Amino acid sequence: MSTGSEHGFSLLAAGLGGRPLGEQFAHDLFEDTPLVSAARDGDRAAFGRLYDRYARMVHGVLLAKVPLGEVDDLVQDVFVLALRRLSTLREIGSFGAWLAAIARNLAKDYHRRAAPEDQLTADLSENETEHPLTSGDHEGAAAAILDAIRSLPEAYREPLILRLVEGMTGPEIATRTGLTPGSVRVNLHRGIQQLRERLSPNSSRGRPEQERP
Amino acid sequence: MDAGNNEPNKELQAMGNDYLWDGSGEPDPEIRRLEALLGRFQYNRPRPEFPEIVPAKRWRFFLPRRQLYPALATVVAVAAVGAVAFLMYGGKPNKLPGWDVSAVEGTPRLGQKAISGQDGSSRLGVGQTLETDLQARARLRADEIGQIEVEPGTRLRLLDMGSGLKRIALDRGTIHTFIWAPPGEFVVDTPSAMAVDLGCAYTLQVDDTGAGLVRTSLGWVGFKLKGRESFIPAGAACVTRPRVGPGTPYFEDASSEFRSALTRFDFEDSTSEQRGTDLAIVLAQSRKRDALTLWHLLSRVDEPQRAIVYNDLAKFIPPPSGVTQTGILRLDQPMLDRWWNDLGFDDISVWRYWERSWSGRAPQANTK
Repeated sequence: MSTGSEHGFSLLAAGLGGRPLGEQFAHDLFEDTPLVSAARDGDRAAFGRLYDRYARMVHGVLLAKVPLGEVDDLVQDVFVLALRRLSTLREIGSFGAWLAAIARNLAKDYHRRAAPEDQLTADLSENETEHPLTSGDHEGAAAAILDAIRSLPEAYREPLILRLVEGMTGPEIATRTGLTPGSVRVNLHRGIQQLRERLSPNSSRGRPEQERP
Repeated sequence: MDAGNNEPNKELQAMGNDYLWDGSGEPDPEIRRLEALLGRFQYNRPRPEFPEIVPAKRWRFFLPRRQLYPALATVVAVAAVGAVAFLMYGGKPNKLPGWDVSAVEGTPRLGQKAISGQDGSSRLGVGQTLETDLQARARLRADEIGQIEVEPGTRLRLLDMGSGLKRIALDRGTIHTFIWAPPGEFVVDTPSAMAVDLGCAYTLQVDDTGAGLVRTSLGWVGFKLKGRESFIPAGAACVTRPRVGPGTPYFEDASSEFRSALTRFDFEDSTSEQRGTDLAIVLAQSRKRDALTLWHLLSRVDEPQRAIVYNDLAKFIPPPSGVTQTGILRLDQPMLDRWWNDLGFDDISVWRYWERSWSGRAPQANTK
């Protein structure tokens, strides 16, 4: 059994803010570089492979910010815009961060244009009489949990959705979005704590108010 | 971050949940349940058919013959549609060139017009001024150019929306730009330098004295006043002062001694002795990535110091074949450019192309 300080040290050594845990995805970035280069030279198949690698990340970023029914179309918009602007990308290694920035920007733009009644949660379940994690209504429970995640502070929404919805690991989230492993890990941890509080049957918060991004 | 900083050790221990982090370790039943429920929202659309990609060669003026006829057909079709529209609407465009403006917070002013509440959007046309007071924020957007977030206490003017050159003047305040127009098309004129977008995203601040600061987050930015120019890649920043122009760019993670000495060297030192002392501090504190700063210093130091900077830069990034010490010491521009291209930032030919294209039309730093 390790002591607390040993535990803390081993966590740091294991990549809280550093490299080792991210190294398993480092080869992905090496593979991305020739794909981005080829796509800039007009290779559509290479861009298609980039889509395969990054579509879930883009979907997660958007799902954290816009109504569920709009997300799939916006994913396509992000990639079409990226395709048109690919020649302006100066740092090939920043492709993921660049793509995430485009997605966040399109989400902002969506809210700028959206009608006031087009709320983020409009398409989600209103059924909250049962605790979502024990409810037999899986669809309603899933919608209520997604709703709760999207009511958390913005910094926690993206990593939680990428982890729990898109099935990405923390190191993968960091690699794909260009965020540091340390910030992803801290935000995942704090986000899950806040989500537990929101989903607790004794929570005094009730149905959370939606924060618009 | 909103919480938890006061108990870092507890948090580190609690973060031992490796299943949440990377799926390893003992599965947490609650997280497994969340994954199972939320997995239904996972993205699973198949890859769409993407349109043809225009290759990265940006300045290709002649099409191959097999592409010529479809291109001509497209041009003819577009011209026909344009002619019909002209006849139908009497040649009056529906929308004048400009940026859509929306109020994000408070009441920004477009000239004398307040933008807020239900009427929270408008359009910034050429010659118009947008101002935010200390409580107001605004957003500018032009579909073919990009988006600009305008912070409180900012005054900017739209100077040009011509084809190929979109130009605004930032008299004071702060803007965050995210530009998707081709490199070199979007220019911000400030009282002490002009910023030329060569990539994607940056923040530009101008204070009441006209001094400025650019911080690049994606891509790179060119900062220029007359013959003095600086290139600022992602992660770097550059200060500019009236009558001096852009200082030497630096990476923001450089040591504070490095940055302070560089500021003094650029704007404060009045004797060669002071400059020598501060240059020595900068060189002593330099890391490999500070080749950015050293390359710029080559053309800013006196000749005796240039050889020292050359040697230090060569230790980090050896000059490429054909680039000689003699050439660099006499500031041979093609040799400087070739060395820059080896530093691993961006291809300087984009900037040189911009300079040639806009020679004579290029805006100078504005005067209020």
